[in-house]
Amino acid sequence: MNNHSQAILLLDDDPDFLTIGRSILESGGHRVIHATAVDEAWEYLRTEKPCLIITDLMMDALDAGFDFARRLKADERFRDIPVIILTGIASRRGYDFTPRSREELRSMEADAYLEKPLTADVLLGKVAELMAKREKDETP
Amino acid sequence: MSGESTRHVLVVDDERIIREGCRRVLERDGFQVVTSENSESALRLIDRRGRFCAALVDLKLPGMDGIEFIVRMRQVDEDIVPIVITGYASIETAIEATRKGAYSYVPKPFTPEELLLPVRQGVEKRALAIEARALREERERHLLDLAFERSRCRSVIQCMRDGVLVANREGNVVLRNEAAGAIFYPEGPAELPAPVSELRCPKLENLLTDTLSPQSGTIVLTTEIPIHKAVYMATASPVISDNGQSLGAVAVLRDITEWKKLEETKSVFVGMVAHEVKNPLAAIEGLLNVVLDDAAGGPAEERDLLRRALARAGALRCMVSELISLMAMDTGRFALRRTPCEIRGLIQEAVDACRDQAEQKSIELRLESGESPPTALLDRNAVLTVFSNLIDNAIKYSPSGTCVCVRIAWDKSFVRVAVQDQGIGMTAAEQRNVFDEFYRVKNESTRGIPGTGLGLTLARRIVEMHHGTIHLESTPGKGSRFTVTLPIQTEHMGPLSEGPPAPPRSRVT
Repeated sequence: MNNHSQAILLLDDDPDFLTIGRSILESGGHRVIHATAVDEAWEYLRTEKPCLIITDLMMDALDAGFDFARRLKADERFRDIPVIILTGIASRRGYDFTPRSREELRSMEADAYLEKPLTADVLLGKVAELMAKREKDETP
Repeated sequence: MSGESTRHVLVVDDERIIREGCRRVLERDGFQVVTSENSESALRLIDRRGRFCAALVDLKLPGMDGIEFIVRMRQVDEDIVPIVITGYASIETAIEATRKGAYSYVPKPFTPEELLLPVRQGVEKRALAIEARALREERERHLLDLAFERSRCRSVIQCMRDGVLVANREGNVVLRNEAAGAIFYPEGPAELPAPVSELRCPKLENLLTDTLSPQSGTIVLTTEIPIHKAVYMATASPVISDNGQSLGAVAVLRDITEWKKLEETKSVFVGMVAHEVKNPLAAIEGLLNVVLDDAAGGPAEERDLLRRALARAGALRCMVSELISLMAMDTGRFALRRTPCEIRGLIQEAVDACRDQAEQKSIELRLESGESPPTALLDRNAVLTVFSNLIDNAIKYSPSGTCVCVRIAWDKSFVRVAVQDQGIGMTAAEQRNVFDEFYRVKNESTRGIPGTGLGLTLARRIVEMHHGTIHLESTPGKGSRFTVTLPIQTEHMGPLSEGPPAPPRSRVT
């Protein structure tokens, strides 16, 4: 497996989900930095730029993941980092965040949207896809 | 009345021969005869209405004369037919007697036929008069009943809290009660009849139109209609006459706003339960997947993941059983089983159950109590749950090296148990919500602390079922103190009723 110099930033307020994500990513040869809160993630971003960001949707706030993704995409420095949003809930209190189309996904400012529980195949597949796409975009 | 068909005739004459003569003639014709020789004793014989059908009265009687007797007799029973018999026949006395109420006049001497004819005619007339009067009374009573019935119906309809509205076949509102008026005309009443379209409620208009259409037959239609921020369940049925013709439609509007709110609260709650169940299940699945995908990294890591999965499963089972208890309380199937409980022993048991947990976090767990606390009638297991939850929370939300203190205090009627920690504390807003189902304080310092969000809800419900209270004081960064006050109830005092009615499940936010 390829060993990227850049790490993947994993953000989830549930320690078990952090462990799951980290185990899968590390088994795929990725280096993982994890954070349990958005502030912690920003702290890390001040010093290092990850190659990919995976964030849980619902943390302190109902849509903390969306907000985080929106702020990343609004920032010159992080705009090019692919973002995967994870969620344990398809719907709560009538909200259904599952994107129905590419346009909806883009409006979420996310590059992918995955539902928990995660399997190694799905997560590693999506990570590889996004990384390949990014490399292609960067090659002039 | 048996008196209506009486065949008794009263004969009042001072001459015995006349009395006996009358008796013979009348008895041959099927009458029964009672005689009297003067007015006074004759009046005493008329003991009730309907006793006699006719009276043969001599005008010249000793004491009270015949005319006076007739007047007095008619005061007792106006239906007795008075027939005057007299030997002193004259036009004047005949007129006088008739004016005083005599039906007929028989001059002496008379033949049997001359006597019988007026008696028969008089008795017949009396029967007819009584029948006519009975009919008249019957009709009047019926009218009265009818009027009463109508006003009663109107009162009942007016008093109904549901809106009632009647439309005729032409689609005009011809009747509506006050409740219906309040729904459609909050500003004041409008004239009736009025076209249904004036109600400006297309859904109700359609409902009535559908009900009035000949095809709908006797079908009852129901629909939900929102009017002025309220929601009504409208039920319309055709008004069918005795001969099967459709006369119009009647709509009943029931305010189901509160019910709808409750329904929404319930579905929000079910959604929350679903989420709270799905989340740990997803964690368990994810943890197991990592192990099965050989992504854990090694046997030690695998064991760690399995242990985590087990912990999540345990917490989930705990949440589900708390949920079952709460549901049982809501539906009244949770009955307290009270036994005399020695308070100190009970609290000690709750403290001991949390001892390991406290030691792991290096938290000092202290129990303070005066000499021999009282015994109270409590559901031991339920109260144990209350204090286990409170102490467990205190430990979970406290940093290492602090102290959790449980204090027992009491007076004659109440025992007070306070669980105090030096933990992270709560803001005022958090304190307001902390007893709500699935509410969990979420911030930097609570991250990663497991919990169901049901422990305090359950604790409060159990305390309330014991007619006690649970009180919270808390300062962010300083700590929290939960104080449970329970009435000391002994067996001598007899059982209390089984707790207050269940409060609504969840808050509508």
